[in-house]
Amino acid sequence: MKRIPPLLAACVAAAAFAAPASPDEPLDPDKAFVPTARLVASAPAAAGAGERHGIDVEYRIEPGYYLYRNRLKFELHPAEILTGPPEVPAGIEVDDPFLGKSAIFRDRVTIHIPFAVSIARPGHYRVRIVAQGCAEDRICYSPFVQEVAVNIPPGYRVMDFPATPAPPAAPKGFPR
Amino acid sequence: MKGWLPLAGIGLLAGLAGVSLWLADRHATPPAIEAGPVDASPAAIQSAPFRDGQGAPRSLGQFAGKVLVVNFWATWCTPCREEMPGFVKLQSRWQDRGVQFVGIAQDDPAKVAAFGRELGVNYPLWLGEEGVMDLSRRLGNRLGVLPHTVLLDGQGRVIESRIGVFAEPVLESRLAAITGK
Repeated sequence: MKRIPPLLAACVAAAAFAAPASPDEPLDPDKAFVPTARLVASAPAAAGAGERHGIDVEYRIEPGYYLYRNRLKFELHPAEILTGPPEVPAGIEVDDPFLGKSAIFRDRVTIHIPFAVSIARPGHYRVRIVAQGCAEDRICYSPFVQEVAVNIPPGYRVMDFPATPAPPAAPKGFPR
Repeated sequence: MKGWLPLAGIGLLAGLAGVSLWLADRHATPPAIEAGPVDASPAAIQSAPFRDGQGAPRSLGQFAGKVLVVNFWATWCTPCREEMPGFVKLQSRWQDRGVQFVGIAQDDPAKVAAFGRELGVNYPLWLGEEGVMDLSRRLGNRLGVLPHTVLLDGQGRVIESRIGVFAEPVLESRLAAITGK
């Protein structure tokens, strides 16, 4: 009995596996949209301005997925150290035929949650996020809740933490 | 020259053709997403409370005897809106053959009404409260995503549950198989 040559076997296998054995499953929202948090401090934005302190929440968004900018909600717990609303980048502008102009995030986005260092007590701080997003052309996730946390260590000082990088310019594009 | 080389070439071509077909099909129709188990009785499905655009209470039981296409959607969900023109066409073609579409959204009533008018939706667009996604999950939407479409028989039993876009030709072939028409 003749043995099947390896190249022929490989080609037959390629034909057999041309179609996927299982359906292409969308990712769980916690895998499609992954938030992380870190403490940051940066130099004054202008002469006379105070130093900026806060928590940067960075979202890593899987290719083919996007988050809606205007549906992101952030809550800091405990909230006593907050000095203002979250600073959310402009995002990618989209012109929805029904909803009008809005913005989405792809790939990566960093949201800055400012707090006052003068009242920042050492401790454990949680950021509760409500987000909405979609897998392009396939499905959208109903609002989902995620949580990230940071620790403010005893003796927190500005120089202990890296400067916040400048946000990139907002590209334009449309969700499909 | 070895005798198996032409066979290897055929195999390679077949493989490439298969991959090309799969990619083409993948582009045309997103791959199906397997639904989860159904955990709702026909009575619970038919009596689940919704409201119409005027705020009047509604339930799927009012369409008992018809094959129902129940579509969970939202105005902010682009894939949902993209599949709905196909539903409008199918409702027109199948309304005399015992098929009724119903859209269910947990959404801003004004936006739902505006979208219904803009698209010329010819089937009821109802609204639900907090329990809408819970019902959707119990009807097989194990991922809790939109769109989700459920086919029910005349007694409220689940025939099929589909997560993601239900393409018009696919749905039409299912309706033909279910109704035998």
